[in-house]
Amino acid sequence: MTAQDIIRTRAKELLESGEVATFIGWEAGRFENQTTPLVITDAADADKLVFNEYCVNTLAKYVRDVIPRGKVGLVVRGCDSRGIIRLVADKVIKREDVYLIGVGCPGIKDRKTGEMLKKCAECRHNNPPEFDEMAGEVAEKPVAVERFAEVAEVEAMAQPDRSRYFESVYAKCIRCYACRDVCPCCTCRECFVDQRRENWVGKQNNVAENRFYGLTRVMHIGDRCIECGECERVCPMDLPLMKLNRKVIQDMNDLFGEFESSLSLEDTTEPLIEYRLDDVEEFM
Amino acid sequence: MILNKQKVAALLDHLSGARDVFVPATVDGVAKFARYGEGVQPDFGMVNTTMPPKDLLFPQTQKMYHFDVDANGSYRIHEYDESREQVVFGIRPCDMRSIVCMDEVFLTKGFVDEFYANARDKLLTVCVGCAQAAETCFCDSMGVDPQMAPNADVMLQDCGDAYLVLAQTEKGEAEVAEWSAFTEEADAQPVTCDLTLKVDMEGVVDKLEGMYDAPIWDNLSIKCLNCGTCTYVCPTCHCFDISQDMRRKDGIRFRCWDSCMFSEYTMMAGGHNPRPEKLERVRNRFMHKLNFFERRYGMSLCVGCGRCVEKCPVALDITRLIDEIGAYDA
Repeated sequence: MTAQDIIRTRAKELLESGEVATFIGWEAGRFENQTTPLVITDAADADKLVFNEYCVNTLAKYVRDVIPRGKVGLVVRGCDSRGIIRLVADKVIKREDVYLIGVGCPGIKDRKTGEMLKKCAECRHNNPPEFDEMAGEVAEKPVAVERFAEVAEVEAMAQPDRSRYFESVYAKCIRCYACRDVCPCCTCRECFVDQRRENWVGKQNNVAENRFYGLTRVMHIGDRCIECGECERVCPMDLPLMKLNRKVIQDMNDLFGEFESSLSLEDTTEPLIEYRLDDVEEFM
Repeated sequence: MILNKQKVAALLDHLSGARDVFVPATVDGVAKFARYGEGVQPDFGMVNTTMPPKDLLFPQTQKMYHFDVDANGSYRIHEYDESREQVVFGIRPCDMRSIVCMDEVFLTKGFVDEFYANARDKLLTVCVGCAQAAETCFCDSMGVDPQMAPNADVMLQDCGDAYLVLAQTEKGEAEVAEWSAFTEEADAQPVTCDLTLKVDMEGVVDKLEGMYDAPIWDNLSIKCLNCGTCTYVCPTCHCFDISQDMRRKDGIRFRCWDSCMFSEYTMMAGGHNPRPEKLERVRNRFMHKLNFFERRYGMSLCVGCGRCVEKCPVALDITRLIDEIGAYDA
């Protein structure tokens, strides 16, 4: 049986038995090699589920929306699974709220070019660290590109060039907030940009406001980012958002030691939030 | 009259002498209508820009007025009018249709939006017909002809090596009369443009009247992220918010694009939100596109440009929704 067969069979069983109220996976889209997230409540719809190398969307964030309907079953690869660990660590959901069908991820391809997506070429954990059962075998560990290669490129720029570079980046931002809305770490009940009365960030679209939004978000998710790369993938303006996220991660590595967020439910350390007496205090 | 494609660059140089000319181009990796000039390479082969041309008439941020206090403590208001003579060269028929929609919103039903009206009066539209379609194009299903835009001042129909030039308005005739150094008296046959993506709009508007509580809205909205991508890349989405930035007693009042996908869009003073969840917001957006606007103005607010189909992070596809409405059996 293929992973897709197992997913369909198990989704059907889980819904029929009432063990889960909803099941989240992917279905085929209108175009060739396109998929789109699918949330089903009826076991009869389980045969719509697909699993292939074009399942671009991560699924963890949806759990937050469908949890009021009851326990949620979903398919998890490395990124989806780490998203779930993040939601549990952030107390958005409880572990027992979800039933996780793990699947080894082959790496996802761009449906138009057939090339592996950037986020998947950078992936270091394609197998789910947290699951209830596996559909099929674990996948081979990917050979990820150097984690901080892009950060090094920016750091190699002269300061005025770097400044101009980020100005051109934020001049393009249209503030659609897709990066926030797709992010499994963006779990605030109310985002600071939506707090109109406080007016933390103004509504004008200009480099200053856009950058303020972008950098605040980077710092806010800094030690929780699971490096799924979804923010960068969904950005309609192709902003290089992972460069910023990885810069924060690299700084944390330098200050607090090698770190990767949300790899296990037992260790959900948040280096920027947690205070230890032996922390580096380089500015004191 | 025809315009040889090799003469287009010279024509653009001529036009951009006195006016700002906007052409489809990729700048810093974003395909949009960019001001023709150094470093901007027009690309008339691109089917659709990522960003629509609506910001030429309706900028994402538009200053409305600036206010301060004089020595006597009285408030003073200084008006802004940043409109100037603009030419959009290479706008597509779907985007020209979107200007018909925006004209209805901003210029009719007893209220004229002066910011829009000023910009609109000063805009010359030169539409280039489509010789090819993207896989997401479905304008002909929405009543748009990919080689014809009746409301464009000048229509350039793609004939392969040349464009057939049609001056369609007084403004367009006056303009084309100045182009004799670039055009030739000749005839040419527009190429046909075949669209592969089709939807059937037959009966959809009326059917939606009875579908306010249909389960399709839940099925559809459940995967929506409620980001603003579809509304900001949409050539017809025209919602805005008015806000101000204050520095002590100086301030500016501006309006900026807003999106019905955002939770705070309908938030009222006192805290009530009539569209509290994704379902209400998604339903509103598609009802507005396919039903409300049709009822008020007699036309669809979707022009079939396919930008939202292309850019939605979760592939929430309006063409699939139209199919589902067609197939829906109450």
